[in-house]
Amino acid sequence: MAQEIRIPKLGLTMTEATLVNWLVGAGQPVAREQIICVIETDKVSMEMPAPEAGVLCPIVEAGRRVEVGELIGYVAADQAEFETLRAQHAVVETQPAEAEAKPISEPERTPAAEKPRQRPPTPTPTPTQAKTPGDGQRIVASPAARKLGRELGIELKGIAGSGPDGRIVLADVQKAAQDGGQARVDAQYDFGLVAQENEMLSVAEEIPIRGIRKIIFKNMKLSISSQAQLTVHTEASAEAMRATRALFNARLQEGQPKVSYNAIIIKAVAHCLRAYPVLNAVVAGRHIRIWRQIHIGVAMDFGQGLIVPKVRNADTKSLPTISGELDDLAARGAKKKLLPDELQAGTFTVTNLGSWDIDEFTPICNFPESAILGVGRIVEKPWVRNGAVVAEPRVTLSLTFDHRVIDGALAAEFLKNLKDRLEDPRLML
Amino acid sequence: MSERILSSSAALAEALQEEMRRDETIFILGEDLVSHAGIFGQFKGIPEQFPERIIDTPISETCIAGCGVGAALTGMRPFVDFHFSDFITCGMDEICNQAAKVRYMSGGQVKLPLVVWCPDGGGLRAAAQHSQSLEAWFVHMPGLKVVMPSEPRDVKGLIKAAIRDDNPVMFFQHKKLFAKEGPVPEDDYIIALGQAAVKRQGSDVSLLCYGSGYYLCLEAVEVLKQKQIDAEVVDLRTLKPLDMDTVAASIRKTHRAVTVHEACVTGGFGAELAARIQDELFDELDAPVKRVGAKNVPIPFSPTLEDFVLPSVDDVVEAVRSVTYR
Repeated sequence: MAQEIRIPKLGLTMTEATLVNWLVGAGQPVAREQIICVIETDKVSMEMPAPEAGVLCPIVEAGRRVEVGELIGYVAADQAEFETLRAQHAVVETQPAEAEAKPISEPERTPAAEKPRQRPPTPTPTPTQAKTPGDGQRIVASPAARKLGRELGIELKGIAGSGPDGRIVLADVQKAAQDGGQARVDAQYDFGLVAQENEMLSVAEEIPIRGIRKIIFKNMKLSISSQAQLTVHTEASAEAMRATRALFNARLQEGQPKVSYNAIIIKAVAHCLRAYPVLNAVVAGRHIRIWRQIHIGVAMDFGQGLIVPKVRNADTKSLPTISGELDDLAARGAKKKLLPDELQAGTFTVTNLGSWDIDEFTPICNFPESAILGVGRIVEKPWVRNGAVVAEPRVTLSLTFDHRVIDGALAAEFLKNLKDRLEDPRLML
Repeated sequence: MSERILSSSAALAEALQEEMRRDETIFILGEDLVSHAGIFGQFKGIPEQFPERIIDTPISETCIAGCGVGAALTGMRPFVDFHFSDFITCGMDEICNQAAKVRYMSGGQVKLPLVVWCPDGGGLRAAAQHSQSLEAWFVHMPGLKVVMPSEPRDVKGLIKAAIRDDNPVMFFQHKKLFAKEGPVPEDDYIIALGQAAVKRQGSDVSLLCYGSGYYLCLEAVEVLKQKQIDAEVVDLRTLKPLDMDTVAASIRKTHRAVTVHEACVTGGFGAELAARIQDELFDELDAPVKRVGAKNVPIPFSPTLEDFVLPSVDDVVEAVRSVTYR
């Protein structure tokens, strides 16, 4: 029986490769494991060994793009079978790339049995076969299993299918979902890398990954794996913020909320997003989708996992209004009284670690949003102003953004504009 | 609503009498009706009560169907008895070329309130020319409605809806089911055409059936229970118009479907169902849609062979096991 030669999947994301060259000519004998061709992906180049000893029968010419799992040739059992295959397929009469040929142990290097025949290359000479051993890379799953996998964020790869011919069916995905632990959250995780208990390590506690923690797992992973994120930092004077806050709070009426630094930052961010709408966007399939509304999420942590309630239409609201909403969200968040709606449909997020004396950090975008602002502590620093060293309150602003959507210069410009507004809130008039 | 136990024949007779009392344009036309009150007793009491409105015809299905179409066109509501659905081939032009199209071709100027009543099905050792299930032919024909009840209750409600419909309705009843008994309300009630009924709730598989297939499914349900498989039984009742909403809701719940009918599988109504399901509910499916039906041969006269050819409870169970992977 002729053995099929198919393009292997060399990496998680590999879908195609280039067949660089054949190292053995058509009709020539090969030994098992002998290198017969070289393929190249955007990451690596690899020498492919013969699956079996026999006679090489290539059917895809060198230089072509080939898909993972694509049939590129056969190793025929003998010359007779090679001739049969040659009759059925457009065999590529390869000239082995001598110069690049590795020191391969060719049993006997005979000239090609027949004169090379000129044949036009056939684009897809692959024979249709119901099932092929080399076809293992395609995930066979029922539509309902695929749908549930998408909904739960479970990778079907790695799930053992219990249906006919290993088909992954609904029950398999449901089981994988129930099995819990990391298999559920991250099927790509290599458990071989997880340290097992041994003489030196013993488990103190196992925390199930579920509820809010599961959502955080999923979103963080999606964010960092699907976006091209980087962070730019700048430092701003916080003097004007301090003054603005004092101005409002000195005129506070009975029952009015105090204006907070966060409220001023949110107001300024919203103002800048109006000017730079592409930071208020998500990637949706083939489009960058820019939102009309500006809903700013504020990262909050009450010891039970990160939550991000939203200030809706922040660009249309006054400082006292935003302050009041923040107080309300925080009060209800602490009591776990926030409604699911209040945690959804944000367009940009602000996260502030200043109260823990963090100066600057690199936040991760709140997926699927395309940008997030990290705010550090406000601290007095010696600063040179008009040639003299003065003590000035300073704050670091860190903008993480999806570089696919937002160019670096644009992100920098946004941050500069934000800094200008915080240093002189009159710009928001 | 008080109910009694009636056979399908009695339910039909009761519905016809009620309708004939209500509307004097309704009359019955067919072979050997008056002397035997129909060969299945389905017109019991009618020759006595409505002697002028149940008419014996010569043995000419062409004539019977043609009279039905003509009477319907001129304002009557004929109920045409085809004796055996197999004989319908002799009335095909009247039904498919005239009845099905005349409303459309007249630009809606005429109505065609005609019921073509067809006893069908096998299992009675009546051989190849008296045992067929031909509903799929008429589902394929634009302009016709197709009804195929199982239980006596449905027979009464659906025949009333068919009689009151202004379009030609093909009404198939399985011969073996005439004697089947079940509760039937005494009231004047209607089951609208195009409404399926979920007759047993289940979570693992949707059995989509009608006519005699319904009873096969009920038996299969009991066998499946022992295998811890919980089957839902959807009695379609009307094939055209099809109640796809009920079918879809069931499959969204169970993610697996098996179609069950007595007609042969090839080109049967199960094929239409399977096509609609994969088209509209692809992502809901956990397994291919399986079809249960007769083998694609003429129905044999030999009892052993007939039983072999017609679908069985085992066939339903096997199909369910394959789609539930158990």
